[in-house]
Amino acid sequence: MSEFRPTRRDFLKSAGALAAASALPVSTVELAFAEPEKNFTFAHISDSHIQHIEGTKFVRNWDRGLIRAVAETNLLTPKPDFVIFGGDLAQLGKKEELDHGAEMLSKLDYEVHCVMGEHDYYLDLGEYWSELYGPHYYSWDHKGVHFVTLNSILTYDDWTYDRWPTAEQRMLEMAGLDNPNGSPFMVGQKQLEWLGKDLEGVSKDTPVVVFSHSPIQKIYKGWNFWTEEAEEVQALLRPFENATVVYGHVHQIQYNQIGNISFHAVMATAWPWPYPQSYAQAASKLPKLTVPMNRADPFFERDATGWQFIDVENGRIAMDYNLYNNTNRTVAFNPNTGQPEDSNYQASDRRIAPQIHY
Amino acid sequence: MLKKILVGATFAAVAVAVCVGGVVIFADEFTDADAERWQEEFMSVVKAGRELWVSADLGTNGVACAQCHPNAANTHPETYPKFQQQLGRVIPLREMINWCLMHPLEGQPLELDDPKMVAIESYIAYERRGVAMAPGKH
Amino acid sequence: MKEFLYTMIVVGGFLCVVGATAEEPAEQARPLGLPPVPYPKDNPQTPEKIALGEKLFNDTRFSSTGEVSCATCHLAEKGFTDSPLSVSEGINKLKGTRNAPTVVNAVYFETMFWDGRSPSLEDQALHPFVNPVEMGLEDHQPILDIVRSDPAYVKEFDTVFGKTGDAVTMTEVTQAIAAFERTQVAGDSPFDRWHYGGEKDALTAAQKRGFELFVNAGRCVSCHVIEQTQALFTDNRFHNVGVGINDIQNDVPDLAREFLKAEAAKTDVDVQVLTDKRTSELGRFAVTREFDDLGSIKTPTLRNVDVTAPYMHDGSLETLKDVMVHYNNGGVTNEDDPVNDFLSGGIRPLDLTDEQIDDLVAFMEALTSPSYARPAEADSSK
Repeated sequence: MSEFRPTRRDFLKSAGALAAASALPVSTVELAFAEPEKNFTFAHISDSHIQHIEGTKFVRNWDRGLIRAVAETNLLTPKPDFVIFGGDLAQLGKKEELDHGAEMLSKLDYEVHCVMGEHDYYLDLGEYWSELYGPHYYSWDHKGVHFVTLNSILTYDDWTYDRWPTAEQRMLEMAGLDNPNGSPFMVGQKQLEWLGKDLEGVSKDTPVVVFSHSPIQKIYKGWNFWTEEAEEVQALLRPFENATVVYGHVHQIQYNQIGNISFHAVMATAWPWPYPQSYAQAASKLPKLTVPMNRADPFFERDATGWQFIDVENGRIAMDYNLYNNTNRTVAFNPNTGQPEDSNYQASDRRIAPQIHY
Repeated sequence: MLKKILVGATFAAVAVAVCVGGVVIFADEFTDADAERWQEEFMSVVKAGRELWVSADLGTNGVACAQCHPNAANTHPETYPKFQQQLGRVIPLREMINWCLMHPLEGQPLELDDPKMVAIESYIAYERRGVAMAPGKH
Repeated sequence: MKEFLYTMIVVGGFLCVVGATAEEPAEQARPLGLPPVPYPKDNPQTPEKIALGEKLFNDTRFSSTGEVSCATCHLAEKGFTDSPLSVSEGINKLKGTRNAPTVVNAVYFETMFWDGRSPSLEDQALHPFVNPVEMGLEDHQPILDIVRSDPAYVKEFDTVFGKTGDAVTMTEVTQAIAAFERTQVAGDSPFDRWHYGGEKDALTAAQKRGFELFVNAGRCVSCHVIEQTQALFTDNRFHNVGVGINDIQNDVPDLAREFLKAEAAKTDVDVQVLTDKRTSELGRFAVTREFDDLGSIKTPTLRNVDVTAPYMHDGSLETLKDVMVHYNNGGVTNEDDPVNDFLSGGIRPLDLTDEQIDDLVAFMEALTSPSYARPAEADSSK
């Protein structure tokens, strides 16, 4: 593999050795990072799908997933600079769900930036979500990296405004991943123009990281692992030396490299989704690079769910997946091959049975 | 000789007449129309299975099968019966369906001959059509 | 002539059999309901080694006060535990933090101790000798002094290992102890006779209902594994089931950091977890430092559980019914207690009725092997 890249996980494990050597407490270990002003960590929690049953009852399973992710994120040492929530906080966009989810997220000890998911959006078109979390798309700069958050789960106007008799019906239709009445995700013309202008002022050697819910790729349309204008968004990112897209929605480990752009999917805290290749009736594409996550054991409800922390070094990311009931995975950009790679299983002779039995 | 030909011809004519008239009197004969009709009968149950698949009412917590298994993916019906490691014994598919009803969906199991169970199994199998049998495969 | 040949054949055959027995390792037949006993290649069983191991197991000289041996906490008459103690007591009655697990069927575990910090029976035996609240020795030297000089031990180590003097090390000592422990296997419980032996009446009606609950609504079988041809009642994995961890819920961040600091200062994990209750509740995190292992404890076997009260890794639940109530509440002992954030995904409220709980307890009482059965039940065929 590539040269040793100390990640936060390595520090957590070998913190002992370093601390012993310097007799410092664990929390100052981050000084060991080269150029800490440019290298940092952030955490990413996504797809909690808080689902309301009735009254004060919510689906316990999804609640527990988010609770655990928040509790573990709070344990990160050294502390991450901020946390991203990747979308689908709620399941059916209800105020109860958004409030219950927001309450759990509020226990995070850090600044949180949120991405819109379709399950948050299609009941009231993101109105209550904005009350909680602000604009649907925005950008900011941090330690030399330009971050952009897109709302990439919009769809055609007639589907959004004219097709369904009630907002509840519209939300239900979009909530079904395999619903043939669904409609493909997009960022829309307005955001494309906004993104173009936003990136104009960014120098081409500035690393750009885009947070999105849909993949900004065309992976499998049947399950909306899809962004209609993927090529156009990618074109806007093409001039940059170093661009990364981090997306949710798919509830599984995926990663890819298209030209200069690295793509990383994040896990859900709620439940895993099967890989498109496991649906026998569809030809589906999965980025060839991707080493699948281990197949879920349904008897341990947290299996194949998780959250991640992301080390940013020189604008490239290494994503550490914290997987419950499972061996953790790291997918990091390999400068030698110019693409993201799994630190343990990338070579085809290193696969294990749970990764091939799909 | 002529008599035999006449008898044979009459017999054949009757047989043809009987078949053309739509009345089958031989054991394993069925027409294309029959096969089509029976396939539709089957698809009506598959459709019922699909409706159950996306229903929030199978369990008590509003979770639907389709939430974790879009298009019944990852149900591996071709591997059943198999030794279900997590249950510690060999089970047919419908016992696993019942496990899902009881646990992730927090509901009641179905009787093994319940029409709903047949419908769900039909939907699962239909979405997996074309995949070779691999009973016992984990 | 024929008769003579016949006699020679019989005698010859007998001699062959005797010869074969003398050379075979002393492995036992597989008990009903258990898989074959796994033996490591580098520590084959012999009757002499087993006897030596049993002697070492019971020798109280291997402690700083001369009063504590392995058998102090692992008494054969108590299912190799120290029931009814919640946590074990070592030298000078110093209390540890954890309940003594049984040695019976321990050979089937892939790791030893409640947090799996030891990879084998041989390795496990090293630790209690030098733990301040167990045997309290500073190091293993006093043990080596004894086994190298006591005339009986000198002879026995020579016979078993062909070693004397300084060639006798803790490796030989622990191999003998482990060989003895590997003979402590017990199956053939009423459950085994019913489930694997085809004896339809080996279980009562309540116990049969309990079995159904165990594999269905009770969800027990997910971790307390029963398989098609044998049942270990453990998955050899680690799970946070909400016992003990709830007491340190709010302190987990600080505790975790302090633990890592202490570890950096080379404090032995074995000492830390047994001398500080709050550290003990970190569970397997103390071994792997993975978030996923916070508060996780190894699934114990349920065989003979009826005679090894009290229960859980800290002995905090007195009866099997208390254990059922804890699981029925979804991983909290008192219904109103908050659920800890790191609870295993498999633990959830079960909505069992009192009768169902009683049935599950009845089922667990059917897991006792004949040699550990209580006198009152030993000869009744319920």
